[in-house]
Amino acid sequence: MVNISKVLIANRGEIALRVILACKEMGLRTVAVHSEADRDALHVRYADEDVCIGPAPSRQSYLSISSIIAAAEITGADAIHPGYGFLAENAHFAEIANECRLTFIGPSPEAIRLMGDKAKAREMAKKSGVPILPGSEGPVRTHMEAIEVSRTIGFPVILKAAAGGGGRGMRICDAESDLQGAFDTARSEAERAFGSADVYVEKYLEHPRHIEIQIFGDHHGRIAALGERECSIQRRHQKLIEESPSPVITEELRQQMGEAAVRLCRAVNYVNAGTIEFLFQDGQFYFMEMNTRIQVEHPVTELVTAMDLVKEQIRVASGEPLSAPPTPFHLRGHAMEFRINAEDPVTFAPNPGRIREFNCPGGPGVRVDTAAYRDYVIPPHYDSMIAKLIVYGKDREESIARGRRALDLFIIEGVKTSIPLHRKILDDPRFIRGDISTRFMEEFEW
Amino acid sequence: MNFKEIVELIEKVAELGIAEVEIEQAGTKLRIQGKESPSPVMPATFAVPQAAVAAVPAPAAPPQLPAAPPQEEESDAGLHIITSPIVGTFYRSPNPESDAFVTVGDHVSKGKVLCIIEAMKLMNEIESDIDGEIVKVFPQNGQPVEYGEQLFAVRI
Repeated sequence: MVNISKVLIANRGEIALRVILACKEMGLRTVAVHSEADRDALHVRYADEDVCIGPAPSRQSYLSISSIIAAAEITGADAIHPGYGFLAENAHFAEIANECRLTFIGPSPEAIRLMGDKAKAREMAKKSGVPILPGSEGPVRTHMEAIEVSRTIGFPVILKAAAGGGGRGMRICDAESDLQGAFDTARSEAERAFGSADVYVEKYLEHPRHIEIQIFGDHHGRIAALGERECSIQRRHQKLIEESPSPVITEELRQQMGEAAVRLCRAVNYVNAGTIEFLFQDGQFYFMEMNTRIQVEHPVTELVTAMDLVKEQIRVASGEPLSAPPTPFHLRGHAMEFRINAEDPVTFAPNPGRIREFNCPGGPGVRVDTAAYRDYVIPPHYDSMIAKLIVYGKDREESIARGRRALDLFIIEGVKTSIPLHRKILDDPRFIRGDISTRFMEEFEW
Repeated sequence: MNFKEIVELIEKVAELGIAEVEIEQAGTKLRIQGKESPSPVMPATFAVPQAAVAAVPAPAAPPQLPAAPPQEEESDAGLHIITSPIVGTFYRSPNPESDAFVTVGDHVSKGKVLCIIEAMKLMNEIESDIDGEIVKVFPQNGQPVEYGEQLFAVRI
């Protein structure tokens, strides 16, 4: 058992606030670190202590390992929660935290490093008997190799950066003629963006659904699968809407995918929260990648499992056993999350600025996770998500109905937001039927 | 004294109808005058920059702190403030046995080491970025400082 009494949150925005809320409920002291642009941020105000760690640019503040560790040192924090994004999946950061005797609230540096390498993660999945998309065994070194693999698995194929993720460093090829150029470009882009030119080849699915499994491991050897989330509504690989349960996942599939996810996690001795992302098409699921952190859409799972995943993270990090989800494990009800971004709902252009009116919806089955408030100035330096609206109902129909009226009463003025976009999606017949895939937003019309 | 404590103090002064209170604690001096008093409220220099007095929203009961309070002793106008480029612990001398690198009244030239900020067992020497006379040292020896925290005021 490790004693955690003061947690430093190495993040900002709504997730920093989320972690602080969990800490407050557990009687833990909190330290917020922030850039100069975030002096008036809500997470800074709510934390017990705060330390300015640098100027606005992330590289000099939220990504500055030395500043964050120094902040932990001067405040006497004994644990660090990395949130999502920033340093959450930086194995080096986790290592340094451990070396400085700070409890890193997350998996081991080894697990982060291993699963962060997309090609290695694919290999681990294959070894664990988790279905993977047909593709190359590891990176392809030459364009001839890429062609050979592609001929075996069949076009269309996708070239992916081994060190990439989140939709970056990818190139789709419909035919052999595309491959040479795509191969060279993909390698140089990967080198520039991720520091490694390694790319691997994978079969490309034309209309898959993005279905991910929430898993949780503890230091007592227990790993649990906590159901799926469907995240097919995405634009340029950025998720917009997530829901659980998925309209197409049966109890049997849930069990199979859960068992596959747990097998993979066991193979890497995974501890704490994680998510295994799958692509699902024609009744088959295929491993895509693993995210070794808490995710943006974790509230969706929290609502259908009645668990507090962030508190669970802290408890597990201090050595306590995972809270048992009820057996037999069933998801209860239906939850749906809408990411509210400060951007033009039609053009998606970011729209930072001062929020003049901010009125959150309430009532049954409505949850809002946000660090925004009236008069808050959204800084231009960071991502545009300003709130998450999560609705919960007894079934998908009720979630959608609640989503509609909650979005109608979510009043944000002064900046443009994606609220009208979400509202429109909830009137789309295909969405209402659950007939969706990752191509949905491409085909969506105002 | 941190921002939260200051606000609580202000509210208490107002609640109890106190005419004036002055507190000095570890390099911070604070004077609060109740609403009925003729002269404006004038807090002395603070060592904690993020609790910028100007940013205090009006508490439920007055007194209000003005945005740019006039200083009684000396004006900060015309002074160059050297701020911390990193997070760490502030030390005035190279080691506990030595004298301080600089004291108030010293003339320094650009590049002169003014202090050490220690972080993760590394001693970072902070140099002056200007020629001038040290008129103020803000943090106490051994005090934690954050990025952007005021360290020295230099008269050019």
